[in-house]
Amino acid sequence: MGFIQAQGSFFKNEARDRRSSGCSNDANMKCIFRNKRINAILSVVPAQQSRFDDERSNYNLTEEKAGRMKKMMGLDRHRVAPPGVCSSDLCVYGLQQLLNEGTLKKEEIGALLFVSQTPDYYLPPTSNVIQGRLGLGHDVICLDLNQGCAGFVIGLMQAFMLLDMMDAGKVVLLNGDTASKLVDKHNRVTYPLIGDAGSVTVIERCAEENAIHLCLKMDGSRHRALIVPGGAFRLPSSPETLKLAEAEEGVVQSLEQIHMDGAAVFNFTLEDVPPQIEEVLSYSGNSKESIDYFLFHQPNQFILKQMADKMKIPQEKLPNNIVGIYGNSSSVSIPVNITHNCGKQLRNGALRVCLSGFGVGLTWSSMVMNLGPLATCQTVDYEAA
Amino acid sequence: MTSMNRPEFYQRLAEILDVEEVKAEDRLKNFDEWDSLSVLSVLAMADSKYGVAIRAEEIRSVVTAADLAGLVEAKQE
Repeated sequence: MGFIQAQGSFFKNEARDRRSSGCSNDANMKCIFRNKRINAILSVVPAQQSRFDDERSNYNLTEEKAGRMKKMMGLDRHRVAPPGVCSSDLCVYGLQQLLNEGTLKKEEIGALLFVSQTPDYYLPPTSNVIQGRLGLGHDVICLDLNQGCAGFVIGLMQAFMLLDMMDAGKVVLLNGDTASKLVDKHNRVTYPLIGDAGSVTVIERCAEENAIHLCLKMDGSRHRALIVPGGAFRLPSSPETLKLAEAEEGVVQSLEQIHMDGAAVFNFTLEDVPPQIEEVLSYSGNSKESIDYFLFHQPNQFILKQMADKMKIPQEKLPNNIVGIYGNSSSVSIPVNITHNCGKQLRNGALRVCLSGFGVGLTWSSMVMNLGPLATCQTVDYEAA
Repeated sequence: MTSMNRPEFYQRLAEILDVEEVKAEDRLKNFDEWDSLSVLSVLAMADSKYGVAIRAEEIRSVVTAADLAGLVEAKQE
């Protein structure tokens, strides 16, 4: 990461001294980004909705237990992409809308980042596929990033770094995931919680300093806590990896689907994330009171309530409603949280927000920034052409 | 975080398991509601009320309510 410090400030020629973005030298991975802002966020969700009450018979759950689960996890409905609709389709739909409405012009796009765990192909990169579909110029940098729950914050980090290096242009960050295609509908642990979604975030330079603070940690020694064990190259696809087995009652899965150690992930979230929130608040010179909203990844309502209680953050400042409306859409859950819960406020004004994504990797990343006013901040339904 | 008051711990456990009372010698597996959801609730309770993180494997090795209380106490020390 040291190379960021080597980058001169893009605005170095301006009279006012603006320091370049940079990372601290201590053992904690902390970064400050300057002279950058988010210009627009658009979330795209499949129009198809599935209700937990209708799925109950798939999970072998008694009515009583289904009721407890629904209440505790905050389940109600979620969005599921129909067969044949990929993450990239949701992202292209959103990007096309921004281009159509004039929020973004094709020639302004300097880089296209696609963050996903459900790409179109092993190769080529899906960002290249999207560049081709939209007829973007050959000067657009296309990069795919394999990230999950922390993928929005990490995507922003990458976008800010690119803006430091690029001559001109904006960065388009696409987050897309269709986890419904990585879980079995007879799996009561994963299926009721997941949701499919895509989002388009436009990031640009700005004259104001607008310092953005990031704290990031990764622990690959716990990479098995959330994993699709088979189907790639460590354990190639075979009849064996495709075989569905019932791990326990109502938990059907194959080796090519998401395996989650729920208790390990739960403990990780409660033990490792709150200290990082404290860290990014103090690093950015904020208190819990000076933050308008804590817009976190949305795994389920129970864990988010626990986190809010543990950190003594009022529940109304830490929304937990997304899983029961759209489902947990991995790296797209933060954009969906932003557009659904703060759309109107961010179209009309600014908020100081703390974002936090945590999960697959394991990776946890938190960011404090001033957000808004945004040219676009809304959630739209994807309708197949 | 306070050190453990056992009757209070059993009362908290009773609330999670949706029963009137839990006794020290009660076997957890005998409760209808002792399942993955209640295990998560116990993990949350151990964290928020006693400041300790219990691992799922540790919970699986526990038999009685007293064992569970002992596990949390041991972690507090």
